[in-house]
Amino acid sequence: MIPDSGTTPRSLAHRSAGQDLVRIVQINEEIKSIVAVAFKINIMALNAIFLAKRAGSTALGFGVLSNELRVFSQDLKNAMGGLSGVIHKAVSDVSVLLQDQRMLRLLQEAEVRSGGNIRVREALRARYDRMEAHRANLALQRRQLQLVLGNVAQLVELGGVLAKSAKIEAAYGQAFSSSLSQVSGEFDGVVEEIRRSLGHLNKSEFFSSR
Amino acid sequence: MKATQCFFQDGEHKWLAIVRDPERPDALIDTNEYLVAYNGAGLLLDPGGAEVFPAVFSALSAEFDPAALAGLFASHQDPDIISSLALWLEFNPKLPCYVSWLWASFIPHFGGSAESFVSIPDEGMEINLNGLPLQAVPAHYLHSSGNFHLYDARARVLFSGDVGAALLPSKTDGLFVENFDAHIRHAEAFHRRWMGSNEAKRAWCERVSRLSIDMLCPQHGAIYQGPDVERFINWFDGLRVGVAVG
Repeated sequence: MIPDSGTTPRSLAHRSAGQDLVRIVQINEEIKSIVAVAFKINIMALNAIFLAKRAGSTALGFGVLSNELRVFSQDLKNAMGGLSGVIHKAVSDVSVLLQDQRMLRLLQEAEVRSGGNIRVREALRARYDRMEAHRANLALQRRQLQLVLGNVAQLVELGGVLAKSAKIEAAYGQAFSSSLSQVSGEFDGVVEEIRRSLGHLNKSEFFSSR
Repeated sequence: MKATQCFFQDGEHKWLAIVRDPERPDALIDTNEYLVAYNGAGLLLDPGGAEVFPAVFSALSAEFDPAALAGLFASHQDPDIISSLALWLEFNPKLPCYVSWLWASFIPHFGGSAESFVSIPDEGMEINLNGLPLQAVPAHYLHSSGNFHLYDARARVLFSGDVGAALLPSKTDGLFVENFDAHIRHAEAFHRRWMGSNEAKRAWCERVSRLSIDMLCPQHGAIYQGPDVERFINWFDGLRVGVAVG
């Protein structure tokens, strides 16, 4: 419930939705870049399979790994689809909260200037309750986003292991060794890029702000 | 949720339409918001009402970084055009809003301060979007007394505010006009009533006839493209406006 007007701090109506919107937009942009990189991985995995097939018996281990990398890239693509959905919902929820806060601030001012008019106070209370419901919804989204990011991070760890194993296998590729090394190195680089982006995301103040 | 559709692209030069929200309450008229993007910067045209802000903001974010918005352009002062202003300014307090000088002291009732506005003189002005010249084209009294459209000569796109608007049946959700004769029936009553001056209408028709336009993009309804642009201008020129019963 909203506290008594005499004790209601003005800042209550305007905590941090504006800042949260800036933060969620930054997260969204980072996620969009990860999605673009994930798409690149898909193409790279296909190339790796073709290369392993061309190398034939000299790259049997690499062939197995390139298939695994292909599966990984599909899983990553699906995970990114889920992440895009969650982030889109979170952007929308923060925008709604911004709307609530704007209205609440105006109503608070009206309440103060009207000397605590009862109807304004009722409207203020209703708007406050609505905002709290939206805030709870956003907290849920925040947890959901963290959960999905955690899952993606686990998946990326697996991708890292696969890429490193592919690098080792590439060394046994005889005549194809240098091409296989190049492909596995690119894979490793891209996985590292995603890992770095995820690291930035986890440090976002959006997850610590309340 | 609103959908974002890119309908013009030439490298880093894009026009996006943010359209058709199936979750929009029936009481709200459907609106189109447009983004012109050039070399990483964007200008959002008629950003919409406060009630649709979450839908517009999230749809925009899916395709463009809102932090890269260089400004807002309001064709006129109506609530479905610019009542979301305060919310955009919460996101970025330095975002300038281009609007007719006539409304520069009225629109702050929606939010913002004197510093938030770039007043457009009656004769129009050029707006430079990160190197892309855009022209604010006068369209006064169509329908607002201080009214501007925005022309992008490189893309050959004219954003035409309420001119060309059509109140389409709920299941008509195409981005472009597909059958001009069928479509224009949904525009006629709107133009007769909302456009207040035959003289202003004539002047606008002559003015835009001199521009090369591939797409004419209204704030409500579907986009006119190709030969439908000229069809529309001719139709509008012949329409008697400023008519109300009673």
